[in-house]
Amino acid sequence: MEEVKKVKTVCRSCHGGCGVIAHVKDGKVIKVEGDPESPISHGTMCSKGLSITQLAYHPDRVLYPMKKNGEGWERISWDEALDTVAGKFKEVKEQFGPEAIMIGQGTGRDFESHFSRFGNLLGTPNMITAGHMCYLSRIGAALITCGRHPAIDYANNPKCIVMWGCNPLWTNPDEYKGVSFWRAYQKGARLIVIDPRKGFLSKKADLWLQVRPGTDAALAMGFHNVIIEEGLYDEEFVWQYIHGWDTFVDRVRKDYPLERVEEITWVKQDLIRRAARLYATTKPAGIHWGVPTEQTINCTDFTRAAVGLMAATGNLDAPGGNVFHQPPGTRSISEFSSHKSLSNEQRLKQLGGEQYKLAARMTIVTPKCAWDAILTGKPYPVKAGYLVGTNPVITRANANEVYEALKKLSFLAVSDFFMTPTAELADIFLPAGTWLEQNHVSENWKFHGYVLARQKVLEIGECWQDHKIFMELGKRMGQQWWDTVEDALDWLLEPTGLTWEEFKEKGYLHGEQKFYKYREKGFSTPTKKVELYSTILERWGRDPLPKYTEIPESPVSRPDLTEKYPYILNSGLRTPTFFHSANRQIPWLREIRPDPIVEIHPATAEKHGIREGVWVWLESPRGRVKERARLNEGIDPRVIVAEHGWWYPEMKGPDHGWDISNINMLTDNSHESMDPVMGATNLRVLLCNISRCEEQEEE
Amino acid sequence: MEKASLRFEKKDCMGCHACEIACKQEHALGVGPRLVWVKEQSPDYIPVYCHHCARPPCGEACPVDAISRNDQGIVLIDAGLCIGCGECVQACPFGAMQFEDQREIAVKCDLCIHRLAENKQPACMSVCPTGCIHLDGKKSIAAVFENKIYQEI
Repeated sequence: MEEVKKVKTVCRSCHGGCGVIAHVKDGKVIKVEGDPESPISHGTMCSKGLSITQLAYHPDRVLYPMKKNGEGWERISWDEALDTVAGKFKEVKEQFGPEAIMIGQGTGRDFESHFSRFGNLLGTPNMITAGHMCYLSRIGAALITCGRHPAIDYANNPKCIVMWGCNPLWTNPDEYKGVSFWRAYQKGARLIVIDPRKGFLSKKADLWLQVRPGTDAALAMGFHNVIIEEGLYDEEFVWQYIHGWDTFVDRVRKDYPLERVEEITWVKQDLIRRAARLYATTKPAGIHWGVPTEQTINCTDFTRAAVGLMAATGNLDAPGGNVFHQPPGTRSISEFSSHKSLSNEQRLKQLGGEQYKLAARMTIVTPKCAWDAILTGKPYPVKAGYLVGTNPVITRANANEVYEALKKLSFLAVSDFFMTPTAELADIFLPAGTWLEQNHVSENWKFHGYVLARQKVLEIGECWQDHKIFMELGKRMGQQWWDTVEDALDWLLEPTGLTWEEFKEKGYLHGEQKFYKYREKGFSTPTKKVELYSTILERWGRDPLPKYTEIPESPVSRPDLTEKYPYILNSGLRTPTFFHSANRQIPWLREIRPDPIVEIHPATAEKHGIREGVWVWLESPRGRVKERARLNEGIDPRVIVAEHGWWYPEMKGPDHGWDISNINMLTDNSHESMDPVMGATNLRVLLCNISRCEEQEEE
Repeated sequence: MEKASLRFEKKDCMGCHACEIACKQEHALGVGPRLVWVKEQSPDYIPVYCHHCARPPCGEACPVDAISRNDQGIVLIDAGLCIGCGECVQACPFGAMQFEDQREIAVKCDLCIHRLAENKQPACMSVCPTGCIHLDGKKSIAAVFENKIYQEI
């Protein structure tokens, strides 16, 4: 028996970043612990990361490359698997052009650089990610407004925190983790929480604004109204550094008087006023905003209005406000991805690029355009796909359409840990390594200024880290890559003067902190100012000023539907144990959350004869699914809040119960429902009805 | 003898369940027994855990004296003596005594006594992002182990 060896690494059970010490004995990880020296997590870990051993050693994990034959799945060698994928891709490329191959990934998986490089060198502009409605969309909107993503600066102690549609203590917060927020809060920061549902943070808040789901952009304009009317803005900043301040002021005054904002958002005028005053008069103040603000038609407008709040109050790039963290000096993800290798001719073929201009600029394809191309052959056929760490059958809007589209592809390869409902549709399965099985300079794609060393602790079966799969597949397609994963990391790190081996010892790098950088260089926008009046949107023929657009399927916009579907379904309620569609097969986590939960107000429950714990049907114009009812007095009786991401790994394949509790059986992905420049799909707000399931399983 | 016990500040428990998984990992427990667990009653979270009672009802209920309190006030169960009758599970007023079906014995929180000896916080406490888990009876434990485990995260 060996001694226990301790290896420092970095978690990636969500978007990652938490420091981990893995305990290895006899070639097996027996335990993981938080790393107290981590600048991100300070020794804490969440339930997902702590369960990594149950994921890595799960009996259902697929440890070898597989191909589908007439009878089912059959183990093959890596050579055969990669040759098959490369062969099929070459055939499609020759016959239909590289754009007929789509590659897709899910939420941020820390292989964005390799994913995009593979796509660019292949020559396909059709790279599908979650970026159209998650984080990248925020970054895109910030890019055209102020040049760079302004992340909240917890390290410098904001005195007021606006938590807008976000709970970093439970779920992946992209930059800093929940513990950083908590430390700032514990130091006495005032807290404003904007959330349709009462949760832990709303109970802690000085002010809780229970907003109608999807109307955040209107609320932000309401904040502006108060700040303008009461003269709470930073006079010097707005005139010197905001482009179009006066036009913006006109828009706010004319279109967003507080009585109208109250009518739209359901938040009382007095509360809006108090919240706006608190934010504008407490210095420094930071806004931390989450995906619910992005996953509607108002995606771009909300982030633009929020950046406007930071700018108007002088909190932009101010310590303790929202700051432009400096990158840590590695090669950028964009350089690694070799975006320049994709010819202009190919770039112009990007699906939906003409319609969704901001998405095109961010090299994002909204998935709807890919499904359309597969199903209709228009504007050109998409024939083959490679999906990596993603389960779109569960996580993308309009699941039925996603399922049909993937089924119709003539060839699909999938890389994952398990046979998910999406993987079951593939022809080739490539076994991916978990974060315990990776060497990587992690977090290079985020905007918090850190990179951290995720080092390989062990290998399991024949699983490869996805970075290596991209590299080896790329080489078989004639692309230029490095010999080893570590050689690529050396190149990525080169400007920092460190090799991968040296970086591994160091643990992390942090960009130099500088504030008020605009005073020297202005902002990275065409006018060098914060463009509340966007010259870029104007050039694209879009409304250059932020606004609120009514949710396309709401009681306001579709009164004709409200008799049959009287409630607003706020879909996508997070759990602390699962990350989107992941982890349902992890015994420790499933024990805590065995069933999908839908929360309803007790009064609504009573009306429908629903008790706590019973199974209920949720029905939208597109279908119905069932979840288990939980009563919560802290939601509006007109709103129903439901979890997303559910499938049942324990159920027989190939279906694994993908359509039973999958909330995306109900969501809509029509073009009319999406953000007009980013193509953000609406995963959050729709109309629904609720009823008790006739048959109840054990309760 | 001074009492040593965990104490959860309920108002700061945000229902993340990290403590539960850290505990399961530390004690190599599978599905079933939850030595610490957090009940959910939206929007509230109610931690359930062993209070290491001065006169533990679990110990009093045990017909074979498998449960005892050690010098630091930690209530421990001797797995070798437990006959799996479940009396202690019934007796615990907090619902903290658990039963492990596989081995057919009762299991309970041991305050991560092996970690305390190494100057480490109990597993649950070490991962809590809000720091809502505290060790009461600081003096006795600190005196025994001369540790620094009470530093806030």
